[in-house]
Amino acid sequence: MVLMGILAVSSQALAQLKTVTGKVTSEVGAPMAGAQVIVKGTRFGALTNNDGNYSVRAEPGQVLQFRFIGNAPEERTVGAEDVINVQLKRVATGLDAVVVSALGETNVKRALGTAQQSIQGVDIAQTNRENFINALSGRVAGVEVVSSSGTPGSSTSITIRGISSISSSNQPLMIIDGLPLDNKTLNTGVLASDAPNSSIAFSNRFLDFTNRASDLNPEDIESLVVLKGPEASALYGIDAANGAIVITTKRGKPGTGGFEYSNSFRLDKTGAHPSLQRQYGPTTPGTSIGSFSYFGAPYAAGTTFYDNVDGFFRTALTQKHNLSFSGAAPDNRINYRISVSADKQEGVIPNSNYGRINLTGASQAVVNSWLKADLSMTYSYSNNDQVFKGDGGPLLGLLLWPQTDNAKDWLTPAGTRRRVTLLGQGSEVDNPYFNVAKNVINAKTNRIMTNIGFTIAPWQWGNLKTNIGVDGYTNQNLIMRHPESYYGYSLGGALDIADNITRNISTQTLLNINSRQIWKGLSLSGLVGNSVSDARDLTDAVKGQNFLDPNFISINNTDLATRYARSTLSQRRLVSVFGSATFDYNKYLYVTLTGRNDWTSTIPQERNSFFYPSINTSFIFTDAFPSLTRFLTSGKLRAGYAEVGKDARPYAYRPSLESKTTSYGGYGYGFTGPNLGLKPEFKISRELGTELSFLDDRLGVDFTVYHSETKDQIVNDIRGSYATGYILFNLNGAVTRNKGYELTLRGTPWMKNGVTWDVVANYNQSSGRTIALPNSLPESYISDTWLYGNVRNGTMPGLSTMSLTGFFYLKNNKGDLLINPTNGLPLKSSTFIDRGYDRQPKYTVGVTNSFRYKKASLNFLLDFRRGGDVFNATDHLLTVRGLAERTADREVPRVIPGVLRDGLENTANPTRNNIVVIPAQQTAYYTGMSEELFIEKNINWVRLKDITFRYQLPPTWLFARDASVFVTGTDLWIKTNYTGMDPIVNGNTAAVGGSGGTGIDYGNFPVPKGLSFGLKVGF
Amino acid sequence: MTHTSRIRTRPAARQTSFTDKPMKILRGALLAGALLLPTTSCKDFLDVNTNPNAPQTVTANLYLPPMLHWLAMSPQWDGRFVGLYTQQWWHVGTGIPATTWGRMGYDPGSDNGAQQWRDVYWSWGQNLVDMINKAEAEKRWDVAGVGYLLKGYGWLVLTDLHGEIIVKEAIDQSRFAFDYDTQEYAYGEVLRLFDVAIADLQKTGDAVDQAYLAKGDKMYNGDRTKWLKLAYGMKALALNHFSNKSTYKPADVIAAVDQSFASNADDALLQFPSLQPNDDRNFYGPTRGNMPSYRQAAFAVQLMNGTQTNGTVDPRMSRMMAASPDGQYRGLDVNVLGFGALSTAQQPMNFWGYVTTPPVGSPTRYIFDDKTRWPIVTYAELQFVKAEAAFRAGDKATALAAYKNGIAAHMDFVNARNQDNGQTATQISAAEKAAFLADPNIVPTSAGALTLSQIMVQKYIALWAWGHNELWMDMRRFHYTDLDPATGKQIYPGFSIPTTLYAANAGKPVYRIRPRYNSEYVWNIPALTTIGGMAEDYHTKQTWIINP
Repeated sequence: MVLMGILAVSSQALAQLKTVTGKVTSEVGAPMAGAQVIVKGTRFGALTNNDGNYSVRAEPGQVLQFRFIGNAPEERTVGAEDVINVQLKRVATGLDAVVVSALGETNVKRALGTAQQSIQGVDIAQTNRENFINALSGRVAGVEVVSSSGTPGSSTSITIRGISSISSSNQPLMIIDGLPLDNKTLNTGVLASDAPNSSIAFSNRFLDFTNRASDLNPEDIESLVVLKGPEASALYGIDAANGAIVITTKRGKPGTGGFEYSNSFRLDKTGAHPSLQRQYGPTTPGTSIGSFSYFGAPYAAGTTFYDNVDGFFRTALTQKHNLSFSGAAPDNRINYRISVSADKQEGVIPNSNYGRINLTGASQAVVNSWLKADLSMTYSYSNNDQVFKGDGGPLLGLLLWPQTDNAKDWLTPAGTRRRVTLLGQGSEVDNPYFNVAKNVINAKTNRIMTNIGFTIAPWQWGNLKTNIGVDGYTNQNLIMRHPESYYGYSLGGALDIADNITRNISTQTLLNINSRQIWKGLSLSGLVGNSVSDARDLTDAVKGQNFLDPNFISINNTDLATRYARSTLSQRRLVSVFGSATFDYNKYLYVTLTGRNDWTSTIPQERNSFFYPSINTSFIFTDAFPSLTRFLTSGKLRAGYAEVGKDARPYAYRPSLESKTTSYGGYGYGFTGPNLGLKPEFKISRELGTELSFLDDRLGVDFTVYHSETKDQIVNDIRGSYATGYILFNLNGAVTRNKGYELTLRGTPWMKNGVTWDVVANYNQSSGRTIALPNSLPESYISDTWLYGNVRNGTMPGLSTMSLTGFFYLKNNKGDLLINPTNGLPLKSSTFIDRGYDRQPKYTVGVTNSFRYKKASLNFLLDFRRGGDVFNATDHLLTVRGLAERTADREVPRVIPGVLRDGLENTANPTRNNIVVIPAQQTAYYTGMSEELFIEKNINWVRLKDITFRYQLPPTWLFARDASVFVTGTDLWIKTNYTGMDPIVNGNTAAVGGSGGTGIDYGNFPVPKGLSFGLKVGF
Repeated sequence: MTHTSRIRTRPAARQTSFTDKPMKILRGALLAGALLLPTTSCKDFLDVNTNPNAPQTVTANLYLPPMLHWLAMSPQWDGRFVGLYTQQWWHVGTGIPATTWGRMGYDPGSDNGAQQWRDVYWSWGQNLVDMINKAEAEKRWDVAGVGYLLKGYGWLVLTDLHGEIIVKEAIDQSRFAFDYDTQEYAYGEVLRLFDVAIADLQKTGDAVDQAYLAKGDKMYNGDRTKWLKLAYGMKALALNHFSNKSTYKPADVIAAVDQSFASNADDALLQFPSLQPNDDRNFYGPTRGNMPSYRQAAFAVQLMNGTQTNGTVDPRMSRMMAASPDGQYRGLDVNVLGFGALSTAQQPMNFWGYVTTPPVGSPTRYIFDDKTRWPIVTYAELQFVKAEAAFRAGDKATALAAYKNGIAAHMDFVNARNQDNGQTATQISAAEKAAFLADPNIVPTSAGALTLSQIMVQKYIALWAWGHNELWMDMRRFHYTDLDPATGKQIYPGFSIPTTLYAANAGKPVYRIRPRYNSEYVWNIPALTTIGGMAEDYHTKQTWIINP
């Protein structure tokens, strides 16, 4: 490596060193473990041990910096003395608080000209969520977290500052210890069943896969920083156009090595389900009813009903165990941390489970006076059993199953699927018990992440830090549609095997240049860097049908002639150089310039190099004008402008041939046509913010307003006239605009008599709008979201990026419903139109309250949302089938208000509708209802996301140096105007781009209520 | 990490594109920084954007199998609906398609009835362009000839179905709006392409190679001479569509037929191999399950059960159509929904010969088997074309001979299809065939007694359930209910327009299918507006070819 060359020139003579020791204490005098002690201008130093003691080697005249996240840094010059004791001051809101900035560097808040927010790992871990992303909801202003469903291992999507990309991912880049972390959710598009033109494709609708960031053990996270805008992430490049989440993992703390053990046991329960009418029986009654439609005669008096829904769910037990061993050598030259954890989660739906094992090792070593090495490795194994969702899934089976039949009785005496209708086996929705017992969705993932870092600092003026890492995993998926099932019957059973092998190699090298004075009061610091990444993602998939033995699960058990294999390889390489320079004037005015040039493999070569700059500034006006401190403790203004480019997905611009499965094989073009003129898209953002603190830092305000516009946006899979010779194109030319406000309030309303009460409130208001689509095309949508009836996530110029289009009711020019003169029912459009539906909330608020009294603490997060529409497709289905309670008044005659479409509808005197409809006789009243009536407008909620009570046990207990017990509740309480089960829902999975299936609720299980308890001990 | 060894420095000449000075300085600084650091970008390292999952180009013959597949299957998709227009069958559901297509309407917002639109533009589209270009570059005139023939036939079926179509501007990825061409232009292009195809297929030498073509051609196994005959046959079909025009030349039609198929052995048939669970099986077969609710219509049955033939029952009826459980052959009334008043025992079984969809692998009937050899153009069909042309030319003797050939050939065709995969229907015996051909109700004893109606009725039977494009073209040429001037009776005896028509029709029968919704009604509206395609009754507008 070139590194070696640099090492060779670094033989600089070093002055005589001596050992300095001391103790770091908090503002209340308690020893602080894990505080950083750094020789200023180098990256060398030590961490304090459990007693707050440290020991470093430095030469006289050098300055020692003492840093601890959440506290103001202190500096001391090394003199003659050998002992330096320091007391740090807690400044949670203050400008001198130490935070992790972009590229994983620590910095004081005052120097940052961009919006970012950090969370401590302990706050994430205490929520006891298996997938740490679910813990971020409400904790960061501007972040929206949507879990696809409440099934263990379901995918969660996270977006920062709204939806700006119409068809690509809107999720942020995840960075772990400086290098990218793959957070893919497997797209069903790589399965053999989803080969182009397939008639049995899953289309990301009927099943879900885990988003891979959840392979991380939340207990291994030290801290997490959310970089919200492209300003902050200009340095992370094109993948961070939607922001970045920068995770720092735990390292060993010095002092005597120690074990730490924690566990938790959680009980999950769900009770929510739609209520069903019990007045009218099936349309075609009898021992075998005709179908699951309930427009028949009323049930006879004394009919026995079964509560099929209640008995179905189980009280699920989840347990976690974490054991870690960490410490550091007495001279602090080596630290280490090893941890093992095991999670075993049960879902409330039978046969849904998630298990994970993590083994993590991390070590840092100071090799010599100018070289420091850091190594971390994580192995994780997860095993996930899911159930189908949506169409034909167990929830719909549960709701549609006759209430007069005991669904628990799901097998015939011969051991096959018991059925109750005259429908064909492939048309009768599965009994839910059968569905979850016989169909299989299993995923096993083995993942290894390694990260090797070197820091070389032979010079006073700066240092060189280089990291190389490999994130590799094998994700083995098995999906079985049982031969007797609704899904599988016509196929004789279908088995999909898909092995995804992902291997991402990344390197990053930074040359940091320390701050140096270039003029009186003006100093300059900066960095130049380079990164290279090579991402490779291969899926080998096979499908087989016509099972020989109906219950034996193996591809070898399928009919040889039906086996179909498919391989999908996706590769993308990216090379970047970047730099940043910060001018600092008297520590109250900072201006940072950045620039980055990327070369990507996914854009035609003549345009694959692109440069983008950013500028941001931070002005501490209370330092510039000290008289202002009469009104406030400190105040900062910041402003930023940034551009960031973004490339296309691999293979987007040149069409390729597919091997066809039609008669006699051969090759033919796929759906997607060429676009050799493809160029990168650019997002241009402006941001203005202020951070103010009052009352001696007991009240802090952080306010940001932003505006961003994405130009030349690449829209994937947009349709055109077939006369092009193709069906879909990847085109530049969309424009979207996002704007919003973020407000974070932090305060300590109470700090007396040993009781401390801290509050953090995050307010977020964001809106995304589509301004233009490529080639003036009228609409863009993701076809996977067209999952129920005729509603999809279509957006058109002028609409929200989260709009819904559909076959909605026709109206005359005065806005009256148009009524069909032949039957008195309203007329629907036959094209996808807009009626102003928008899934984007008006605003969201997350409020965290923390109370501490002596050894007890209580912490809870309330999450509020106002506005945003949710499509309750489950309710539409229940209405169409005559099961929803609203259909109970079906005998009542009614006239639908509106005007007849008789040619006079747009005249001054349209004919008012006077046709009487009795739904019981004219079931089209229900069965023909537009889905529009089930898009519930302005959904609000208040939910208690999580609440934790923790009690510190006396130190003598169990001979532990540190022991505590806790009780945590998750999703215990919700109040909402949504009539369905849970408005946090995704009809697809996190794999779907654009606004995806967020807010489309069809046959999805809600997140259950959980109550966990456990203990934590350290020896 | 092997790739790092291949990394080169970027050439300095390319480091230019920025105009303003600060950026230049910044960029210079970055590049200087980059030189210090372990890696720099390079062309080779980034050259990983060639899709490794599929080739970007293949040999000319490998483009052919999917195109031939859709040549056979695509008309089946649209045929479900054309079959309702032409009363070959009826759908027993009480909603769509019975209340839309069954009433000579359409499904707004749906791609139903536009599968051939998809396949001509997409499944063939650029593939056909590439195949022809490669074949011509390599002097593979047989492959090129097949290409031109498909190209011409694609425009023919498309303009017959939709009227105005996009021809001149088609298969151009640089544009996103496409103007429609007239049907007259489309027909001109069809005939030009057929002549190019014929010229190419006549060539030997150069790289003409049966084995090479056979790799992609499982219809004629690379036999150029059969493709040449098919080209003449397709040309005959196109020329005969001009029957209502003053430019109609029956002699040219007859000449083309005579250069085409000589017997059933020349029939263009593509067998569905049924190796895949779905994609390569007959669209009308039981596995794909697209036809469980379709039943033969009364009009079609009455052409065969003696109603229109003075009592002579066609022996093909029991081999092509399905009986009811009571053993009788009935057709459904297109003016009532569902099975109407028929009792369970009277309701015709499905085309596979069962009450409900049979399990995979069950024996079926006629062309409704998973593994049927599916006809594209047949000898019998062309003989009826010749009969019509000769009849119109006044050569009744030639007409009668061709008419007889057509019936006899189709009876053999029915027998052959019922043997493709062990179907349940029995074979038509030689005696039955001879008796039928000797029956004066079917075959007049003198050429002078032959009627145009007889020719068209027998052609209808020969095309029933598969020849949708040609069959509908025929019926539209006779405006469904035109009278035979010689007899004063309907050319299609017993056919009546449904009493309730689709609301938007305003009383008019259907003459075209609207262009594909998701291609045109969403993305090409201005051009569609120019031809009147946005009108709700556009499908009732008569096409150019059928009128003088």
